[in-house]
Amino acid sequence: MNKFSALALAVLSSSAAAQTPATNPMPDGSRDMYVGLGLASTARYEGAEHSERKALPVLQVQWSNGAFVSGMSAGIHLSRDPQVEYGPLVELQPRRDESGMGGGIDGIEARYSIVALTLADLEHNRLTGMAPVSTRLLGGGFVNYYLTPDWRLTGSLLGGAGNERDGVRLDLGLQRLALRIGAHHRVSVAAGLSFVNAGYNMAFFGVGRDDSLRSGNPVYRPGGGLKDGHLGLRWNWDLAPSWMLTSQLQAKRLAGDARHSPLVERPTSVTVSAAIAYRF
Amino acid sequence: MTMARHLIATCLLSLGAALGAPGAGAQAQAADWVSYRDAYRAMVVFEKYGGPKNHLQQYLQVVPLEKGVAFDGLQLSLAGKTSQVNLALDALGRAAFPLLKAAYDDNAALLLNRRIGAFTVRPRVSLAPQADGVYDEAELRAACEQALGFARYVDASLRERQCGGVRFVFARRAGDIAVRLHRAEGADQALPATTGAAFQGDAGEGFPTVVYRFAGAARAQVISVNPPLAIVPLFE
Repeated sequence: MNKFSALALAVLSSSAAAQTPATNPMPDGSRDMYVGLGLASTARYEGAEHSERKALPVLQVQWSNGAFVSGMSAGIHLSRDPQVEYGPLVELQPRRDESGMGGGIDGIEARYSIVALTLADLEHNRLTGMAPVSTRLLGGGFVNYYLTPDWRLTGSLLGGAGNERDGVRLDLGLQRLALRIGAHHRVSVAAGLSFVNAGYNMAFFGVGRDDSLRSGNPVYRPGGGLKDGHLGLRWNWDLAPSWMLTSQLQAKRLAGDARHSPLVERPTSVTVSAAIAYRF
Repeated sequence: MTMARHLIATCLLSLGAALGAPGAGAQAQAADWVSYRDAYRAMVVFEKYGGPKNHLQQYLQVVPLEKGVAFDGLQLSLAGKTSQVNLALDALGRAAFPLLKAAYDDNAALLLNRRIGAFTVRPRVSLAPQADGVYDEAELRAACEQALGFARYVDASLRERQCGGVRFVFARRAGDIAVRLHRAEGADQALPATTGAAFQGDAGEGFPTVVYRFAGAARAQVISVNPPLAIVPLFE
């Protein structure tokens, strides 16, 4: 019973690693969809000292043929085995510029700051003068393995990040799905590691010669390896058959060459989000 | 401090949004519903299972969060925009679950006809009873192996488990329970009845139960005079 309750409602958070919802068998021709809106407090970009509050669109759709859209990710469940999930996965990685990480869906720019940043915040922005990293559609796949119906190992590999499209990210994690607290409250916990290649780190944490001249940051050419470790806690509150309140707390700590980048002001970041979603 | 302020602001927004959700407040007060889609998702796994299951049956079981709830007279209703189905519960809180596309598309709710507080539901797989009450050990073992095969299909951690026997569960008011083991050589042995829970993890105690452990006697029969509510496979 726990597994079906394990809704990993993904949210449009630039700091969230790619998540795949659990397999959701349903009648042929049916779909299960959540749409909602909330608020997130998150670092302006990976490694930023300052946080900002953003509007948080929520979207998760699953179709009977196994296809799904979950936040900024989309994929297809190809496995019919309840212990293994795998399939292709794509993820929209938002643009990063000196104003921070962006986000969007269906061409609607969803990022804006609820609270105006102070001048002091902007003066200390190490992305000033750095070339923007363009929005990219990452492509790859995912594999999840259930140790028990409540515990699963997760893995995804996505490539195509960065302006050079040569960035590759591997996310590995362990999730405890849907720990039920009462009839309508479910808590999920997750821990994971992200590994990237040198191209990915160079795109988001490196400083080239031209960038150095424009931004004043020292030239930095990171290698690949472990990028970060993260812990996440999600709380889903079923208010009614059609209404859900979903909240998330995620802590992330940059590691390896990413952590030592001159762009990183603070290696540890915490993201808090909450949103209300309607189930169609 | 900055993060603390953000956390507080986010939580306040969440509560505000929750309280402002149309219809959410009233239905959260009732709290006596379960999403049909969530139940469907759990129950359809057995239907899609391609392994042998002809000796098995699956029900949806109501699990009250409060202990001591009696299921007498309790009925589960499937309430959707275009579908309304009443599902009778047995003494173990189980009902046959209809897999209905219309109810799924309606995002229907499962409701109880009497307030018992909050509850959840879960699938329960048991062995199909025989009309004549006579069970060959070989059939019981084969049925238990089918149940174990399905359990392993769902939960990889059960790979090391083996079928150890079966538990016959009877109604509380079934009267004198008479279950005996009949061997081909003619020696009959009464199997002792005890009281306990029907399924592992059930809060409801006090059901008369008879446990039969497989002994490898291919020609033995278990004969139950009383019709069982459920025959539960035992994995050890």
